Amino acid sequence: MSKVRKSFVTTLVLMLALSLSLSACGGKKEESTGTPEKPVELIWYTIGTPQKDVDRVMEEVSKYTKEKIGATVKMNMIDWGDYTQKMQVMTASGTPMDLMFTSSWAFDYVQNARKGAFLPIEDLLQKQGKGIVDTLDPAFLEGSKVDGHNYGVPANKELPAQSVWRFNKNLVDKYKLNLDNVGSLESLEPLLKTIKENEPGTYALAVDKTFNPIVPFDYIIENMPMAVKVGDKDLKVVNILETPEMKQTLATMHKYYKAGYIPTEAATLTSLSDVQATGKWLTDKATNQPFADNLWSQSLGYPVVSKAASPALIYNWSVMGSMQAISANSKYPEKAMEFLNLLNTDPVLRNMIDSGIEGVHYKKVGDDAMENLPESKNYDMPTFSLGNVMLTYRDKNDPENKWDEFKKFNDSGEKAPLLGFNFDPSKVTTEIAAVQNVKEEFWASLMTGTVDPDKFIPQATAKFKAAGLDKIIAEAQSQVDAWKATKK
Amino acid sequence: MSTKALKSRDFHKLPAGLNVVFNIIAGLFAFACVFPFLFVTIISFTDEQTLATNGYSIFPEKWSLDAYRYLFKAGDQLFRSYGITITVTLIGTLVSLILTATFAYAISRKSFKYRNFFGFFAFFTMLFNGGLVPTYIVVTQLLGMKDTLLALILPMAGNAFYIMIMRTFFVTSVPEAIIESGKIDGAGEFGIFCRLILPLSLPGLATIGLFSTLGYWNDWFNALLYIDNPDLVPLQSMLMRIENSMQFLLQNTNNPSLGAGIMQSLPADTSRMAMVVLATGPIIFAYPFFQRYFIQGLTIGAVKE
Amino acid sequence: MKRIGGFFKDINKNKVLLLMALPATLWFLFFSYLPMAGVVIAFKEYRNSRDGFWASIVDSKWVGWDNFKFLFSTNDAYIITRNTLLYNIFFIIVGLVLAVTMAIILAEITNKKLAKVYQTGMFLPYFLSWVIVGYFVFSFLSFDKGMINQIGSWFGAEPTQWYTEKAYWPFIIILVFLWKSVGYNSVVYLAAIMGIDKSLYEAAMIDGASKWQQIRNITLPMLKPLMTILTLLAIGRIFYADFGLFYQVPRDSGALYSVTNVIDTYVYRGLKATGEIGMSTAAGLYQSVIGFTLVIVSNWIVRKWDKDNALF
Repeated sequence: MSKVRKSFVTTLVLMLALSLSLSACGGKKEESTGTPEKPVELIWYTIGTPQKDVDRVMEEVSKYTKEKIGATVKMNMIDWGDYTQKMQVMTASGTPMDLMFTSSWAFDYVQNARKGAFLPIEDLLQKQGKGIVDTLDPAFLEGSKVDGHNYGVPANKELPAQSVWRFNKNLVDKYKLNLDNVGSLESLEPLLKTIKENEPGTYALAVDKTFNPIVPFDYIIENMPMAVKVGDKDLKVVNILETPEMKQTLATMHKYYKAGYIPTEAATLTSLSDVQATGKWLTDKATNQPFADNLWSQSLGYPVVSKAASPALIYNWSVMGSMQAISANSKYPEKAMEFLNLLNTDPVLRNMIDSGIEGVHYKKVGDDAMENLPESKNYDMPTFSLGNVMLTYRDKNDPENKWDEFKKFNDSGEKAPLLGFNFDPSKVTTEIAAVQNVKEEFWASLMTGTVDPDKFIPQATAKFKAAGLDKIIAEAQSQVDAWKATKK
Repeated sequence: MSTKALKSRDFHKLPAGLNVVFNIIAGLFAFACVFPFLFVTIISFTDEQTLATNGYSIFPEKWSLDAYRYLFKAGDQLFRSYGITITVTLIGTLVSLILTATFAYAISRKSFKYRNFFGFFAFFTMLFNGGLVPTYIVVTQLLGMKDTLLALILPMAGNAFYIMIMRTFFVTSVPEAIIESGKIDGAGEFGIFCRLILPLSLPGLATIGLFSTLGYWNDWFNALLYIDNPDLVPLQSMLMRIENSMQFLLQNTNNPSLGAGIMQSLPADTSRMAMVVLATGPIIFAYPFFQRYFIQGLTIGAVKE
Repeated sequence: MKRIGGFFKDINKNKVLLLMALPATLWFLFFSYLPMAGVVIAFKEYRNSRDGFWASIVDSKWVGWDNFKFLFSTNDAYIITRNTLLYNIFFIIVGLVLAVTMAIILAEITNKKLAKVYQTGMFLPYFLSWVIVGYFVFSFLSFDKGMINQIGSWFGAEPTQWYTEKAYWPFIIILVFLWKSVGYNSVVYLAAIMGIDKSLYEAAMIDGASKWQQIRNITLPMLKPLMTILTLLAIGRIFYADFGLFYQVPRDSGALYSVTNVIDTYVYRGLKATGEIGMSTAAGLYQSVIGFTLVIVSNWIVRKWDKDNALF
């Protein structure tokens, strides 16, 4: 044993010595201002399946930006599923970069802003980012503040989120279903019944494990049981499973499940793409945007109609749906902001980034419309992730008033109660880890109606309490109260 | 002893009845292992619409080559990835074998004064690691290997597990007497290792070589971490990237930010299975190369004499 | 002075072996020991600093043992520890027995061509990622399209919802694990059998030993060092669980957590919302320290019994 101990000590000493020598090689910083003659290079990480022609397009983009702001652009794309993990490792290790994509659903914006991954940009916005401030609906910048600072530029796109019931129009027509009274979950019942009785093997209410029934609450952390009721002036944080609204809804879901309207294995179903391909479904829940019906019909290959199921509300997560942030260790933050400013105000640059090189990847058919050329398969970018969407040329098949409708939709949105509030979990990380595990255990089976809420809500609540839910709620409440006080 | 008897293993023969039983056991288990792979292959040749309607089936109603057409459309990317994977696997296995064999031999020698220290030194790394971020920093910042093939080869080259196995092979299958006889013949320590020990340890080396080959072939995580350049992405990494992104997008189907268009571009089940077939197919043929060393075995006598 | 002189003499005497150990030693220093300094993150609330990683570590707040608390804070702590330990103990014992048995069977089969075919087949599952294995298991166990329910319906059995019936899952998990690993693990033992000096068997034959006696008295004792080493190494990883096996295969079904939640899945789920690398490092350190302690103890026991087969 003593030999072992000796080796252990030697090892530790070695490790320490090496790590010290390593820390000596810390990074140096150099300041530089870019000019068209001697431009700086901006390193940009963004989400999406890597495209073959990225470097080629960036070469063109760089020519343009060199002229305009004295900077060139190097874009690295990281695929959807890897983005969060890779960015977390890269930011934690201080990898040099200037710009990066962040959002509420991939490489979490609030979380990483708090960890110090991004640069606060209020000052830069005032100096180099004037155009952004002028273009964006103020709700975007206001809603994406974390602890009073802006850490990213939200993309100008649809602002509120509205749930709808989508219907497979073929089935609606076949059974002459009346959609006029559709709204609440309960209102679907006669339709579901018709399909269940006449179309065996068809999912009447197509629900998979990600399903969340519509209840008028704003979550503190998305899909964790702490929430505030929409319209509650006091902003009281409650356990959502104990609210009458949720209990009622889950009871209905369970009724539907027992009646066979919902897929038997909904709680573990990862995707509905099979039934969507075959058209063996009547209705499901989706999130609306202008002209969504056209989009869905086009992508599914058969007509789809939708009916509003909830009011359009502006949530934190909908505001933060797509953002570009400047890295905390960026060498050229001013240039980066100038670039973001250009990306959000200059149609030439924005469309080059989005659709590639004119004449190669796309051709223009009118002032603000374009058509993809065959080469566009080598440069197919996720439009929403790359700044101001409303600058992009519409496809020649899109309606002319596309962006006007978006603006109207944005204006129609009302603020959710917690818009602008971001929970800081650092005091309750232990409890959150435990509660998260309990949530995962019960959530999908409750929300899909698979289990009896009368039996399982008490079980879940007891386990949540044991895991420290009350402590999180108390902490959330005190933060919400403090936030409320600053707002008045 | 007669070398003739040693070469054939006749004397070692199993009674016929037991042989049948053994064949049945091994055969059944092997079938259970091959079956899913057959299944995956069949799905990859199934018509997409048929798959959606009928679910998985061993005898699909309609066959199709679409999945492979879809993959070969990406053409050069696929072949480049094959090239990367093969290069990394070959060089990596070689480097890994050298590191493993030399170190394992040193700590297998009873006369080596520091064998306990070095044995522990290697073993310790099997249990403790600094985590993702520190490793990432060493590889990218200290060694500057980001976006190079080295980043795919070196981080996997050393392996304490292989060393421990190899050490055991050296201890058990190399009689001390051979080393002594080598010394008497005037060979140096290194000469003994190359000319006497290595040939005797072929089954062990083949095992480690096989494990290492498969490890490199299957590795995708290093590429995820260290490779940004799409031209340097190995095959498994391409496959896993698609798998991960699929899962991620499916979990976010309700996310309004992700438009319907992105969902549409997802590869179908059939294409994903075709990728598995393409990624696994070639390596199966590398298998017999190693296999002969641990099915046939060696005749130690031949080396001794 | 004499001691130092002795030290150099030792170095000189061992210089060839030291040189042989050097390449891998350097590798371990760079790729294992250097990054190990990062374990201090386990005791920090890690926040990025714009001056890079080391500055971040220095600047981040010390939080003592706080990062470890989530592993022990609730009832789940007991469940995940129990599941991880029990499954691994089972995997180690049954895995060892089956891998050795399969290796002996393959070595004994008279027709070497067939043996090769079997062995190649057994290796295939190793190539399939857990995601694919998950799909495959689902094609058996799916409620409406799964083969088992379909076959059951021919005999008039009621369809079972496999993904909510936790009673079956310990068996399914173990079965899938063995299916995936036995072929791989048996290779090591097969290679070891092939390394056994054939003259030993010949001598036994001359003495009239039966096949069974040969296996018991020659093959198994010769495999003992390898079995010991591999088991010791497996004990070191007894607090680690294969994430994919416990996450992808049961399709992350909440109803099954009491039999499928293990340390690795618990950590993954728990840190999804906060992404604290301090806490994930803490979890890894906890798993390592327990494994390390267990190996030291078992190695000590092995040393008492049989000095030659110990790890160090």
